[in-house]
Amino acid sequence: MPRTSKPRFNWLGLGFMAPALIVVALFFLAPVIMTGLFAFTNMSTSTGITGGEYLLTQSNLRALENSGVSDETFETLSTTSYRVDEAGLARLAEQHNQATADEFRTLHGDTVFTARRDMERALKDLNQNRIRSTRDRKAAAELFTSSVLDERFVEETDFRAALANAGINDADHEILVTEAFTGWVWTTENVELLTSLSSSARYAMNTAIYVIFTLAFNVGFGLLLAISTFYLSPRVASSFRTIWFLPRVLPPVLYVLMWYWLTWDTGIISTFAGYFGFAPRNWMLDTATNAWVVIILINGFVGASLGMILFSSAIKAIPSSMLYASEVDGANRWQQVRYIILPQLRWPILFTSSYQTLSLLTSFEYILLATDGGPGGTTEVWALAAYHTALNNYGGNLQYGLGAAYALVLVIIGIITSLLYLRFFNFRELVSKPRIEN
Amino acid sequence: MQLKLNNFTKTFGEVTVIDGMDLTVNDGEMMALLGPSGCGKSTTLFTICGIHRMNGGDLHFGDRDVTHLPSQQRNVGVVFQNYALYPHMDIRDNIAFPLKVQKQDSATIKRKVNEIAELVHIPELLDRKPAQLSGGQQQRVALARALVRQPDVLLLDEPLANLDAKLRLEMRSEIRRIQLETGITAILVTHDQVEAMSMCDRIALMRDGKIEQLSEPSEMYNNPANTFVAGFLGNPPISFVNAQVAGGSFTFGDNTVAIAEALKPRVGGEVQLGIRPEHFGPQFGTGVTGKISFVETQGREDLYNVTLNSGGMIRSIQPAGERLKMGDAVSWGVSPEAVLAFDTSGDRL
Amino acid sequence: MTANFRSLPVILLLTIVSLPLVIMYAFTIVDTFTNTEPGSLMPNEFTTEHWRFLWSSDVGRGSVWVSTVNTFIFASTTALIVSGISLTAAYALSRLEFPARRFFLAGIIILHAFPTITLIIAIFLILQLLGLFDTLIGVIMVKTALELPFGIWIMKGFYDTVPWEIEMAGVQDGASRFMVWRKLVLPQVQPGLAALLIFSFLSGWSEFILPLVLAPGSDAQVLSTYLAYFLLDDSLEVDFNLFKSVGLFYAVPVILIYLVFQKKLMNIYGGGSKG
Repeated sequence: MPRTSKPRFNWLGLGFMAPALIVVALFFLAPVIMTGLFAFTNMSTSTGITGGEYLLTQSNLRALENSGVSDETFETLSTTSYRVDEAGLARLAEQHNQATADEFRTLHGDTVFTARRDMERALKDLNQNRIRSTRDRKAAAELFTSSVLDERFVEETDFRAALANAGINDADHEILVTEAFTGWVWTTENVELLTSLSSSARYAMNTAIYVIFTLAFNVGFGLLLAISTFYLSPRVASSFRTIWFLPRVLPPVLYVLMWYWLTWDTGIISTFAGYFGFAPRNWMLDTATNAWVVIILINGFVGASLGMILFSSAIKAIPSSMLYASEVDGANRWQQVRYIILPQLRWPILFTSSYQTLSLLTSFEYILLATDGGPGGTTEVWALAAYHTALNNYGGNLQYGLGAAYALVLVIIGIITSLLYLRFFNFRELVSKPRIEN
Repeated sequence: MQLKLNNFTKTFGEVTVIDGMDLTVNDGEMMALLGPSGCGKSTTLFTICGIHRMNGGDLHFGDRDVTHLPSQQRNVGVVFQNYALYPHMDIRDNIAFPLKVQKQDSATIKRKVNEIAELVHIPELLDRKPAQLSGGQQQRVALARALVRQPDVLLLDEPLANLDAKLRLEMRSEIRRIQLETGITAILVTHDQVEAMSMCDRIALMRDGKIEQLSEPSEMYNNPANTFVAGFLGNPPISFVNAQVAGGSFTFGDNTVAIAEALKPRVGGEVQLGIRPEHFGPQFGTGVTGKISFVETQGREDLYNVTLNSGGMIRSIQPAGERLKMGDAVSWGVSPEAVLAFDTSGDRL
Repeated sequence: MTANFRSLPVILLLTIVSLPLVIMYAFTIVDTFTNTEPGSLMPNEFTTEHWRFLWSSDVGRGSVWVSTVNTFIFASTTALIVSGISLTAAYALSRLEFPARRFFLAGIIILHAFPTITLIIAIFLILQLLGLFDTLIGVIMVKTALELPFGIWIMKGFYDTVPWEIEMAGVQDGASRFMVWRKLVLPQVQPGLAALLIFSFLSGWSEFILPLVLAPGSDAQVLSTYLAYFLLDDSLEVDFNLFKSVGLFYAVPVILIYLVFQKKLMNIYGGGSKG
């Protein structure tokens, strides 16, 4: 019987992929999913990220005023009662002695007093172990205060028990438990905040300004550099290319430091302008326009170098005979650029633009270092807002959930755009089957 | 228009590619620059159109000194080896480009483009893109673009190298037809002797940056100035043997070839003989003996290599007939009138 | 480039637009060794005091040497892991048949284009949960993962240029696919591997946001955060010459590596690095 040949896998392939898959899944895919999840929580510094406790405070009660909790419950919660329980007796034993506590247990064990006066009177009942001074009795009474308010409970069951003990109506337990929980919970309020906050609109606006102008500068300047160095001897061209490539290679922190020195009030522009009698000023931060110009230049000087190399190699790929032909046909330099070189750079320009759009949308490194969104939030772009909301702000209350919601918007844009790139790439060719079959 | 290249020198860095070359192309003439690769023929062409600049000498189109003019002002039409059509423009825009950069008005451009398209037989292709054209059609477009603004000189850089054999034959006569119809002065750069001989009025055969001989095709074939020229022209190529002059004949080994009367006063002692394959065979009698070491039939003709008993080899080409076999011994003759004699340094005697 | 156009106007234009950068570069170097009168541009004395952070511990936050060692560990470890993992994964994607190969290829392309910085918040929280927050190991793992799609993509590009015939010949000669990879293909992609190593090292050396967010303490501090401390702390007096010295100290390895390996690196920078 002839054996049918079955396609066989090469397990070597999977083995070779495995380490990459694990690392990428753990620190790349997981964060994508987690961003989506975190965006629907109210995580913040105050809720913590691991779990929470149950703590009812006055401000919680105020928040509950119109939520249908019965007046009786409010009454019970806001008045202090006194309960003679083991915990209170233990405190009493510590304050005075074990005998006093034992005697008091036999007298009033498990009794609840609603008024302080009743509690103090009960303490007077002590016979063998008298508490003589009124002040001491008052202090002793305090030991038995029993309030659900301002008391921390680690477990939900303890909190419910305390509510029951305080004589609170079962119907109100659920809502109190929810209110008292200090950990994070699932919520959609981030999405609502995002769409309702006026600052969101401003961040979006800032981002649009930032992306459009920086992109225009990048592509325009990249073209200028690529085309102009093309007309130079290789030696001269490569020196200029090195000058323009260094910003991309230099660590961002040092690069931005150079711009500080260039633009600050003790920097070179101010010093130079000082020769002509201008007062020193901070050229980076003194007006919103200045801040934008500096930010676009900082990013643009880095971004232009990418355009420069991509366009340079595209120009090099134009057959030299085509350029010769245009010259003997009578084209001057501008006509050669306009009619021969630029039309053939259409695809590289489109590629660079779409690629940089995505990375500009999401990058905030240089803005963070340069203006940190200032002055007065005028250069706060969406990605930087996400960073400030979740990871670093002056208020100190870091809202992880809201920040994640900001980031989620970018993540979704990123995924959609990357999928579009996939269509742009010649995918069919990329996935062509290996030519050695196993 | 006459083109005159005077004492032309070109160096690239340390390397001198062309050293003091003179060349005159007459008005309306088609001149071939022929030579092996690296001989400097393309450098010469690029210098004439201004892509390269001369390091010495001067260049005149008619009375106009163009030595220091950039390409744009020289008014030269060039057809490049790969045609260099602009891929993003359609054919009409390609041809119109030289006029467009001169900012001629669009009606004039349209008229001139249509005229030239008629001349090169491509009016139906004007709205296509270069990528949609065959090699021969691209060639015609390139010609049209080069000619559309009525240049003083037309330069053709290996125009047929990228075509298949059949198209090459067709375009050879087409280019010549167009050149004759327009009466333009033209220079054809090629390494193919057949192209040069069939298309051009005169040929300048170059080697190592020098013109070895400049003459009409038949003159160059029949009357080469030295062994290089003799060896470069002709297919199958000429055979060379070393011989002594003794008693009115050339002798090499036990072979003798009679010396033509006209040649007798000029030869003596050691010489190199150049014998073309069509001048060696049984129809010229006997006197040269050897064995057939190679047979190749080309259909209409048969080609033989005859290894001489005295060493050395002479090719022979004969009408296809009774087939000789490898190893057959032959004794054939050489046409004395057709023998070319060179001195030991390779110059013609 | 032909003789038909003069290059002088172009050089002039480029010189003018390049001037700000050249001035920045030049003064960054000069100022670290000199003092300048306030309100003046030209330095008037030579000094080494701006380099005092190298030996004195009261400048900056923590020791610069600890940060340097951390930076080196961070950069070299990520470079090694990224290159190592890319080396095998890219080969599988380029040359081997295995289940869901198309899916993984598409995934790599998407991840390659994906802006990783948007994930920083989730990563911050994940590291907190894993207990790796504020440790060098945590930052290394994150950097590795984020750099990996790019590394695989680049390496795949290098593998794709190795002729199939070499592998076919190897298989015909009786070698296993593993042997073919190790003995025949690896030597062909060595230049690519070197370029990726250098590139990843530079990328790690310059990384700023990840250490800033994920390892803000002084124990795992790297040079970028050490330097950023001067810039971002408003309470410090602005001493640009000191800042520049720290910056230069930080950047010298980068500049040297770039100048030496410029040609090799251009391949990668041009091959689709991020904007």
